[in-house]
Amino acid sequence: MTDAAAESPMPVQTVASRPVAIPVWQVMIALIRREYWEHRALWTAPLITGGLMVLTTLLANFGKNQWGTFPGFGPGGPSADPRAVGIMISSARQIGVAVPLCIAAVVTVFFYLLSSLYDERKDRSILFWKSLPVSDAATVLSKLLVALVAVPLSVFVAAIVTDVLQRWVWDIRYALHLVGGPEFIWDPVAWVKVEAFMLLILALAVLWYAPIAAYLMVISAWSRRNAFLWAVLPPLILTVVERIAFGTRYLNDLLLYRLGGIWFDLWNNIRSHGPPGSPFWKQHTYPSVFDMVSFPDLFMNIDLWIGLIVTAALVYAAIRIRRYRDDT
Amino acid sequence: MTTMIEARGLTKSFGAKRALDGVSFTVAPGRIVGLIGPNGAGKTTALKALLGLTSFEGQLQVMGRDPRAQRDELMRDVCFIADVAVLPRWLRVSQAIEFVASVHPRFDRARAEGFLSKTDIRPRSRVRELSKGMVTQLHLALILAIDARLLVLDEPTLGLDLLYRRQFYDTLLNDYFSAERTILLTTHQVEEIENLLSDVLFINHGRVTLDSTVEALAQRYVQLTVGADNLAHARLLEPFFEREIFGRTVMLFEGRSSGELARLGELRTPSIADLFVAKMQGAAA
Repeated sequence: MTDAAAESPMPVQTVASRPVAIPVWQVMIALIRREYWEHRALWTAPLITGGLMVLTTLLANFGKNQWGTFPGFGPGGPSADPRAVGIMISSARQIGVAVPLCIAAVVTVFFYLLSSLYDERKDRSILFWKSLPVSDAATVLSKLLVALVAVPLSVFVAAIVTDVLQRWVWDIRYALHLVGGPEFIWDPVAWVKVEAFMLLILALAVLWYAPIAAYLMVISAWSRRNAFLWAVLPPLILTVVERIAFGTRYLNDLLLYRLGGIWFDLWNNIRSHGPPGSPFWKQHTYPSVFDMVSFPDLFMNIDLWIGLIVTAALVYAAIRIRRYRDDT
Repeated sequence: MTTMIEARGLTKSFGAKRALDGVSFTVAPGRIVGLIGPNGAGKTTALKALLGLTSFEGQLQVMGRDPRAQRDELMRDVCFIADVAVLPRWLRVSQAIEFVASVHPRFDRARAEGFLSKTDIRPRSRVRELSKGMVTQLHLALILAIDARLLVLDEPTLGLDLLYRRQFYDTLLNDYFSAERTILLTTHQVEEIENLLSDVLFINHGRVTLDSTVEALAQRYVQLTVGADNLAHARLLEPFFEREIFGRTVMLFEGRSSGELARLGELRTPSIADLFVAKMQGAAA
């Protein structure tokens, strides 16, 4: 018998054998699956975005209006070495494929988080979920894991799949001699380098934006109606109020920094590690750009860690609100 | 015998209104307790307190645990149906079973599927495609397949037609209830669950107005139907409630022997519904 049961004078006898405890990871997996059942956009968004990109590539290559060669990258382009140019274009496309997927994921996750702890209160299904032996902490953390781990990883995988499919389209096109100009040159080392670079950037972005995700969850757990407006308007209004009342713009700067700071940081990081003089893209092929990034510097940014502490506090708040809020 | 629930002085206010005003009661294992009261009496608040879904003042132990601090542990042994509408509309029947099976150590999947096979519910259906009665059947199939010690049902048959209601309680009694299990339920349709209950707990304006086993009710309360001739005499015996039907008066007495009342008119054991009405109207008067 457990300690808690021992407190009562005599534990209630039951025909049931003691329950086999279900491991935490199994509960977590069940919770994450549930999120994908409920929010189908979590998996349809990357699928549709990736599918559209492959379709566009097909149309662009085999349709009526075919793309010609890439302007500026033919002979006499920025680099004399056609192989280097080929790898560069290939890498650029590799990254280019990830960008629409990331944008789709950001939009999906934004609305997912806003509804994550709101919808269940609205339709009162929270009373069903709470009738099961799943703690509020496990529930809230599962939703955070979906937003910060599952979705980014699926974006990463979708980018690779899209990249491979697109490459096939191009390969077929070249094999059929439909086009001249520089080929996409698939260089395994360059490819792995770019993927590793993107994975690190993805991890960096996830950690940087984690406090925003946690903030959205708090709003989702707390607001009685229109979580979207509660999430967006107060920061905007407070920014304006600060501007009018004090003539300062600390909040404005803070918000902008949290929204975009990591990218300036990355930009400066690349520049400071690159050779001085002319812009790096005139001297280097893409894969070598990644050698110039100092990831230890990026991950040791103190603001990143302050953000993570704030995230922990906000997640704790979201758990407490879900545990004690009674509005059903 | 030990206690399943021990409540002492439960108090909870919503603004100026007291939803619970010093509620105390005890529930033993193996009982089916009806928590009965008019709308806004505090029934749901009391159940929510038991389930750790709301804050309150006072002492409360459910199976030796405080629902405020030990809710997570408690929910392994407690199950509840809050209302018919709480299964999420997007959920598929198969997903519901899959999910409960993955998170509940005491869920018997085969049992749930057995219950469902007797209904028209298809595994691929989503909750939104089911009728209200079917949603309740599904919820019941999930809950009854959980080997819980305490089952709490808050208006489980609200909005269902008679057929489903009857079926609901039959299943509950025949396929679920046992001496080791305790059921606590609220409902508006008192007359439908009369024969089901072993105990009743009347609650009104946040206070317990009656707390008794059903057997004890028969000894404690007597209903007398009296004609005009004996009316004055009967009133001297202090009925706590009376109403007129077809020119005769129906009176309810507490703690009077049948012997002294029998010569005044017809005697009957009042139904729980009769008592409920009497207690509630008596309180209002």
